[in-house]
Amino acid sequence: MSDGDGTTDEPGIAAIGAYTPRLRIDAAEFEDAWGRFDAAGVERKAVPEADEDALTMGIEAARRALDAADRDGDEVVHLAFATTTPPMAEEDLTPRLASVLGASEDADTRTLTGSTRAGAQALAGALDAGPWSGSAGNGIGLVVVADCPRGEPDSEIEHAAGAGAAALVLAAGAPGTVVDRGSYVQSYPGTRFREAGSEETTGLGVTQYDREAFTTALGGAVDALDVDLASADAAAVQSPDGKLPYRAAGALGVDTETIAAAETVSHLGDTGAASAFLGVASAFDDGTERVLLAAYGSGAGANALVVDGSIPVDAALSGVTELSYAEYLRRRGEITTGEPEGGGAYVSVPSWQRTTPQRHRLAAGRCPNCGALNFPPGGACGDCHARVEEYERVELTGEGTIEATTTIAQGGAPPEFVEQQSRSGPFVSAIVALDGPDGDSVSVPSQVLADGESVEIGTRVAATIRRIYTQEGVTRYGFKLRAIERQR
Amino acid sequence: MREAYIIGAGQTPFGAMPGESYRSLFADAVDAAFDSVPDGIDTGEIDEAVVGTLGVGGRQIGLSAPAVTEHAGLHGVPSTRVENACAASGYAVRQAVQAVRSGMADVALAGGVEVMSDLSGDAAKYWLGVSGETEWERLTGTTFAGVYAQMASAYFDRYDATPEHLSQVAVKNHKNGAKNDKAHLGFECSLEDARDAPVVADPLNLYHCCPTSDGAAAVLVASEDAVGAYTDEPIRVAGVGAASERVGLFQRDTYTGIDASMEAAAEAYDRAGIEPDELDFAEVHDCFAIAELLAYEDLGFCGRGEAGELIDAGATELGGELPVNASGGLKSKGHPIGATGAGQIAEAYKQLRGEAGERQVQDAELGLTHNVGGSGGAAVVHVLEREVGR
Repeated sequence: MSDGDGTTDEPGIAAIGAYTPRLRIDAAEFEDAWGRFDAAGVERKAVPEADEDALTMGIEAARRALDAADRDGDEVVHLAFATTTPPMAEEDLTPRLASVLGASEDADTRTLTGSTRAGAQALAGALDAGPWSGSAGNGIGLVVVADCPRGEPDSEIEHAAGAGAAALVLAAGAPGTVVDRGSYVQSYPGTRFREAGSEETTGLGVTQYDREAFTTALGGAVDALDVDLASADAAAVQSPDGKLPYRAAGALGVDTETIAAAETVSHLGDTGAASAFLGVASAFDDGTERVLLAAYGSGAGANALVVDGSIPVDAALSGVTELSYAEYLRRRGEITTGEPEGGGAYVSVPSWQRTTPQRHRLAAGRCPNCGALNFPPGGACGDCHARVEEYERVELTGEGTIEATTTIAQGGAPPEFVEQQSRSGPFVSAIVALDGPDGDSVSVPSQVLADGESVEIGTRVAATIRRIYTQEGVTRYGFKLRAIERQR
Repeated sequence: MREAYIIGAGQTPFGAMPGESYRSLFADAVDAAFDSVPDGIDTGEIDEAVVGTLGVGGRQIGLSAPAVTEHAGLHGVPSTRVENACAASGYAVRQAVQAVRSGMADVALAGGVEVMSDLSGDAAKYWLGVSGETEWERLTGTTFAGVYAQMASAYFDRYDATPEHLSQVAVKNHKNGAKNDKAHLGFECSLEDARDAPVVADPLNLYHCCPTSDGAAAVLVASEDAVGAYTDEPIRVAGVGAASERVGLFQRDTYTGIDASMEAAAEAYDRAGIEPDELDFAEVHDCFAIAELLAYEDLGFCGRGEAGELIDAGATELGGELPVNASGGLKSKGHPIGATGAGQIAEAYKQLRGEAGERQVQDAELGLTHNVGGSGGAAVVHVLEREVGR
């Protein structure tokens, strides 16, 4: 299909955000543990923290994309979330995503999953859904693609499995344009799949068959394009490992250097649905002007999109903390035992839900009597102690300063945080004066992400969203803080 | 308003007592209190009973007061549970004083009980957290040690004190507790032990934290009209003060002091008509070593930021200017949550009657007890006085 009608309000790509967890493990750690490493072309890979998942990584990428586009979450009218590893097999996660981003309640949201080409399907769907104008004004679309695949510990898929997310802001008059796109499906079962109820992806491992499915589907998708791919500066190709994408060079009609120009698998691992998107992000971050996005999903199907332009990118793709293999197994929960018997501080889901504006948006309240900020707002003012009928809603800026802090030592966590501590080690619990919009502040308690270090009073921090804990099968997502100097 | 007097007080040993139940412990404490009344008392003479307990482990959460007073033979006596976390029985004593002063009771019994040692480590962690601010503070994965550690971090950031001062509190209180046959951890420790222990919540290590204990304590309060029937040497409740604060530390104006303690102390001093420098001894709420340092300042034993100097000078040791926690405190004597406040009164009663043995504070006439709930959501202070020459 070719882009033909030429209307100027057709949505283009305004900006790209990209995020990977800070944790890394080297291939050598696997070799030491197993005597071999099965993921060809992967030198190291990204690993999610115990309190990260596809949703929290997607939020990190989405916020960066909005920042890079200089747009606000409340402008989002079309919101798509794509992943093969949704934290819940059933339950819509886009309301939480919309809530933390501040998207309007009438935003059109959708989830795509079940295939590593879910991200490309989400992007194609969003392009078709736009333009967004009229009553909502100059609305924007946001496509969030995040993934953290896993396999059995001794499998090729697990050795390759990385983690990461990318998000694209779609808007009229954007610097990036999707100049051409095509898709292709042909039945090739068994190359990569995850059975219902399983957390581990697997594949039959029939090498020639896998390659044939891969090249046939990708080749079929680019055959539908009118654009001459020789003009592409980089090709971001689905990378379940560091070898397979190059096998498709011929079918795609690009040379291997063009594929290498957008590759991330060697240092991030297999990022599943986010794979080709992280490639696109890194290519535009490098100043590339025409990129082929070539996503493949087993089954098999492929999408090819050609993107032109000079697109702003905000990418946090560097690794900071190196894990040993034992630490890696702990982070993935392979050798931890979950929440102990004995219960935890019980906060019912309905009472948690009532605090959503605080957990997701840092919504404080200004006392109409004395003007002091209260967090959470409710009841008598913490400053003047007068009963307040209705606090004026004030969203905190998300930055603040540590006022008091401790590190809860290993073994000291209360029951609902035992699993987090088993996976990630000691954590920082602090009181932080969060800045209001008018130069004042209000104190809140929060965990502080510190990579196992302690933090000092006076340290400046900024908010992000993480998994707080899981009880009764329901994960509570809320803000945590991270030292600004630790941000990438 | 008529005066109230302590005519008897006693406690069980504090510690791990697998052979005892919460009922048997409470009954033993009642017996100890009855035995301590100089001219004797019968169960039929008790008009009112108030029982402090958190109910760690669940046990008898509803009707927990009648459950223990009936078991102890206080048949038919109106009996009520008060719950203010670790300050439960300090508040129970205050309620008994109110009952006596109001004229509704001539003799009231206040007590407390807790059983903590028969829980799994995981269940104990849950119960120890129930008095923290649940929806926000607790959900940062913190614990009581964590919240007091946050106070310590702010205190050390603001003033010259160091973690070494925390260890000095532990050494002093263990030295005192070694002289108390009712103490849970009645052994001495060296400064090295107290300095090098495993970290619990930085900067607090294991020796900066009190144990979890089983135990019970009971106090008998009589009116000025009734007191003559029980003793010629009564201990007068000279002043009581109590105050509440926001439950979560983050909600408070200061992290380097406990406002509820300051207000409770000011009220108690005012009602007693004394200044803190007139005190002969104090039993303060040292659930964590930093809490004792903050108490020195909150209770007016020294100025702000001077707690480290006060302990450096030896002023709060036995034999010092103002001995603090001669009993061993929560650190060494133990901390059976609901029993702690009444246990402090039992120690003060012993000290004021000159019956504290090896740990006796010389010529003790005026003593203070300070009992805190949680990280400072509630505090209660009693000033007790031996009436000389009544």
